[in-house]
Amino acid sequence: MARVGIEPRPLRLADAALAAWIAILAGVTVYGAATTTGFLTVSNMKAILTAASFVGIIAVGLTVIVLSGNLFSLALGQTAAISAMVFLYSLRWGLAAAILLTLVLGLAIGAAQGFVVGAWGANPIIVTIGAAGLMEGMAVWLSHGQSIVPPVDQTSWEHLANPVLGLPAPVYVFIVVTVLLAVVMARTRFGRQIYLLGENRVAARAAALPITLLTVGAFGIASLYTAGSGVLIGATSANASLLLVGSYTYDAIAAALVGGNAVTGGRGSIARTAAGAIFIATISDMLLLRGYSTGAQILVRGIIVVVVVVLTNLRERSR
Amino acid sequence: MEELSKSFGPVHAVRGLSLDVRAGEVHAVCGHNGAGKSTLVKTLVGLVRPDEGVIRFEGQELSLRNPQDAQSHGIALVNQELSLVPELSVEDNIYLGGLDVPLVYRRRRLSENARAVLDQLGLRHVQLGTAVEALSIGERQLVEIARLLVRDARLLILDEPTATLSKPEIERVFRATRDLVAQGRSVIFVSHRLDEVFELCDRVTVLRDGRRVATHEIHEIDRRSLIEHMLGEMEGAKAMGAHEHTDAGSGEAVVRIEGLTVPGSVASVSLTLESGVITGLAGQVGSGTSTILRALGGLVPTATGTVEVHGKPVLLNTPRRAVAAGVLYVPNDRQREGLFLGQTAERNLTVSRLRRLSRLGVLLRRRVRRTARELATMAGVSVERLGSPAASLSGGNQQKVLLGRALQLEGTALLALDEPTRGVDVGGRAEIHNLVREAARKGTAVIFSSTELDEVLDLADVVVTIFHGRIVSVVPRAEASAPAILADMTTSHASDGGVPS
Amino acid sequence: MSRPETRRRRPGGAELAPYAILAIMIVALVLVPVVTQYTVRTANIYDIFQNFASYGLVALALGITIIAGEFDLSVSSMYLFGGMVAVLSGASSPVLGIAAALGAAIAVGVVQGGLIAGFRLNSMPVTLGGYLVVLGITYILGHNKSVLYDNYTVGLRLDEPILQIFSIRSLVSLGIFVVAALVLRYLRVGRDLRAIGGDRRAARVAGVRVDRLLIGVFVVSALGAALPGALLSYSLATASPTNIGFDVLTFSATAALIGGVSLSGGKGGAVGIAAGVLSLSVLQEILAILRSPDYVSSLITGGLLVVVTIVWAPNLSEWFRTARVLRPAEERT
Repeated sequence: MARVGIEPRPLRLADAALAAWIAILAGVTVYGAATTTGFLTVSNMKAILTAASFVGIIAVGLTVIVLSGNLFSLALGQTAAISAMVFLYSLRWGLAAAILLTLVLGLAIGAAQGFVVGAWGANPIIVTIGAAGLMEGMAVWLSHGQSIVPPVDQTSWEHLANPVLGLPAPVYVFIVVTVLLAVVMARTRFGRQIYLLGENRVAARAAALPITLLTVGAFGIASLYTAGSGVLIGATSANASLLLVGSYTYDAIAAALVGGNAVTGGRGSIARTAAGAIFIATISDMLLLRGYSTGAQILVRGIIVVVVVVLTNLRERSR
Repeated sequence: MEELSKSFGPVHAVRGLSLDVRAGEVHAVCGHNGAGKSTLVKTLVGLVRPDEGVIRFEGQELSLRNPQDAQSHGIALVNQELSLVPELSVEDNIYLGGLDVPLVYRRRRLSENARAVLDQLGLRHVQLGTAVEALSIGERQLVEIARLLVRDARLLILDEPTATLSKPEIERVFRATRDLVAQGRSVIFVSHRLDEVFELCDRVTVLRDGRRVATHEIHEIDRRSLIEHMLGEMEGAKAMGAHEHTDAGSGEAVVRIEGLTVPGSVASVSLTLESGVITGLAGQVGSGTSTILRALGGLVPTATGTVEVHGKPVLLNTPRRAVAAGVLYVPNDRQREGLFLGQTAERNLTVSRLRRLSRLGVLLRRRVRRTARELATMAGVSVERLGSPAASLSGGNQQKVLLGRALQLEGTALLALDEPTRGVDVGGRAEIHNLVREAARKGTAVIFSSTELDEVLDLADVVVTIFHGRIVSVVPRAEASAPAILADMTTSHASDGGVPS
Repeated sequence: MSRPETRRRRPGGAELAPYAILAIMIVALVLVPVVTQYTVRTANIYDIFQNFASYGLVALALGITIIAGEFDLSVSSMYLFGGMVAVLSGASSPVLGIAAALGAAIAVGVVQGGLIAGFRLNSMPVTLGGYLVVLGITYILGHNKSVLYDNYTVGLRLDEPILQIFSIRSLVSLGIFVVAALVLRYLRVGRDLRAIGGDRRAARVAGVRVDRLLIGVFVVSALGAALPGALLSYSLATASPTNIGFDVLTFSATAALIGGVSLSGGKGGAVGIAAGVLSLSVLQEILAILRSPDYVSSLITGGLLVVVTIVWAPNLSEWFRTARVLRPAEERT
């Protein structure tokens, strides 16, 4: 009878292409490292890790959304900015309260978006675009257009920005939360169900998976993590306004995609995103050291994203 | 009088098949599942290349590379899956993708042409500007035919066209078909509906096991002989009654279904399903068997009626509620809706029981692996395959994995299996049937649907035949006979009003 | 097997929604003098059309990709890119600048469309990468800062009021909208576009040249974003690699959606999108008259977008239906 099999040839071709790409990346990195002055120094490595951390925390949270098959969120930059502003503002009630409040707010913002997408089937990209707009409006309104600075009499927040054992605190947070989320995705029922949901939404429904809950969870986690990063960003800049949005949204998405997570969901991992974040930070650092401008950095990032998306999806399609 | 003739060699589903269709005739092709009908159709339309043999059409030998090729020669197919764009208007769909439609296309000439064709097909009341999504399935089918006529199709293949149509719509299709052949075109009518075959067609060819077993002028044959041709030796084999079909059940009614209705496909179905009894729903494609099971599984929100599980009425409007009530539905489209193809077999097997296999949300990996191994062994899947992605398994193994995930689940009152052995070979089928019997022996009520007669006869303790969304008969296996069942599956009794709307 | 599930039908009233919304906005505008001391003058109407001129075509561009069943995330950077190329190459002749911007846009569109069609990729991540690439190029071209356009008379000409309420810029936009409306309604491409968005498989089977059309869609999208960007840069006599405080993407998406474009593809038209853009432009003018701070506009646009997405969410009614638990007497299975 007819056998359901996969074409072995295209699979090998796509795998070969990916392997070639990884080889190219490794080669470029090594070459860059060897020829860029100032790259192979401890302080530079620290700088790379620090830069990777802020984006990385957001990116690993975002990965849960990607794995669940909901593409990505375009609201994370705004979420980070608002979180930084809320954090700095709430410091008047103490460090613990400020952190807690910010995280809870982040979780709630994300959960709301997740509900709309999960329960009602709204398009995730558009919902997050709208949410971003709402957040921008709210941020300016509540802050009366001014930046938020921490209260004068409080310095507890400085702990979050200061180096511990030589590495800035955000790096530690990045490592810890990444490992935590990786464990959650690999070892919990929630994580397993997210992968299944992303793999085949129709089958997930037929298998009675709790789709709404999972989607709320995915967006909630992404937003929670982003809020956490916002706290660290606020503490580090000691100043928060919408300018903080910067390019966090696109950088986080790029990290998740470049790491090799399939944008259609179901395949990939937290570790890949972390690797993607570090890789992007490395390349950006190299470009910076060699005198390349912002524009070049963005351009290179874009090219890498496009190439990896093509390769990843080639591989997925041939399965 | 032109003749078309086809003769194929061993495409593996079809062997040495020769068929000829005359110009101006409606030629029926009948055969049970797996007889080779769909392969025949696919070959004619250019989807499949025959290993041997030749297609001769209007005097020319054809070598078809793809459906576009077939279409350019005038061979066209209308089947269940329509290729109309619902958002577009009738006129737009008729001219969609046509090869010589001009750039600025809303010309009066084209509209008049489309109007004429629609009128010819009996769609006088349908406006050219109406969006296709506003039309009924029957009307849509006729629009698809209209498109093919505009492209001057000389040979139309209608593959089970009436499965989802109401009586008046069927009449319209028939009238249109008769008009078409009167113009000298030819129609191949593939169908299980023997009534319709006798009403519409000039000649009939019966396929069995990939071969042509008979071709007769319609007035030379009767229904009984037709069925006999289709069944062949099956009758004999089934007479041996391979398995003990006693009243295996404890008699305890586990599930009571009352007045299950789905607008457009199922009309007031009432059944009692007992513990340990395997109920088989026998019905052809589109008869509603699948819809009934899906409704039980919570996938049909528009279903109405009452269902009681263990005496208590339950709400089955979402899959989660169905599972909570103890009803496990296994989908028939395993690739699209059943399996998670890129995930491992282990993950697929354990998807329905993750809660039981975790504590405080954390998966107990060893227990998961053990359970997966148990389920795999029970289902007959080699344990070594557990780590492979489901996509890499054979069809039979995939089906076993899909079924395996529904086994041994605490609290299951009813297993609803939709085509449990679709695309599975004989050996695999036997294994799966044993699996199902095992589950029933443990006390679960089982209901399954199948379009294959021998499967129904082999597995079911009670045979329920469904036609056009209604129950035709409910017969214990011991009293069931193949010809009677087939007759019930393929024929409408008395004057039923067609598909319920 | 089961029949094809019937597609969820959009309510017939949805066809009129964009015009209803526009009507509401116009009424609101008319009511402004009632609420405040302000009299609505032709200058306000002029502003509205200027706003239309600045962003309308981007909404059309995005709308076309959505109708085709895709989504072009790169429109916001194409906008800036168009401006930068036009300013840099238009020093001697503005026409040359525009031509260069359009030419560059075509190239980008071909590449994006080619990747998406050729590799059958999801358009979102590809256009996301495209967004970054185009943005990066814009920065590089301008050496990471804004570039001034010396020929400021061009801007003055472009914005000179015609018949008191129009200008060359707004007339160009309106003209292109008219052309687009005609093409979508009367030319075969228009129908094929909706076909590939409505049911791509069916369109392919029916014989529509899907791949070619997709590439065309992304080329049109790039053009539709680059042209207004170029004209705006001339008008402001500056090209900048960043958008200060205004998100072109949010505006365009909102305008397209309230303009009747359906996210599931296959539905929508140029006239509706124009109504959507006008609605938002009127809204912004009202807010300007009321001296509302900028964030109110962000709030309302963002809020509108979320509301519209929810209202047209495919599973909304089903969720309400299944969330209700009925009493045993009226059991539904």
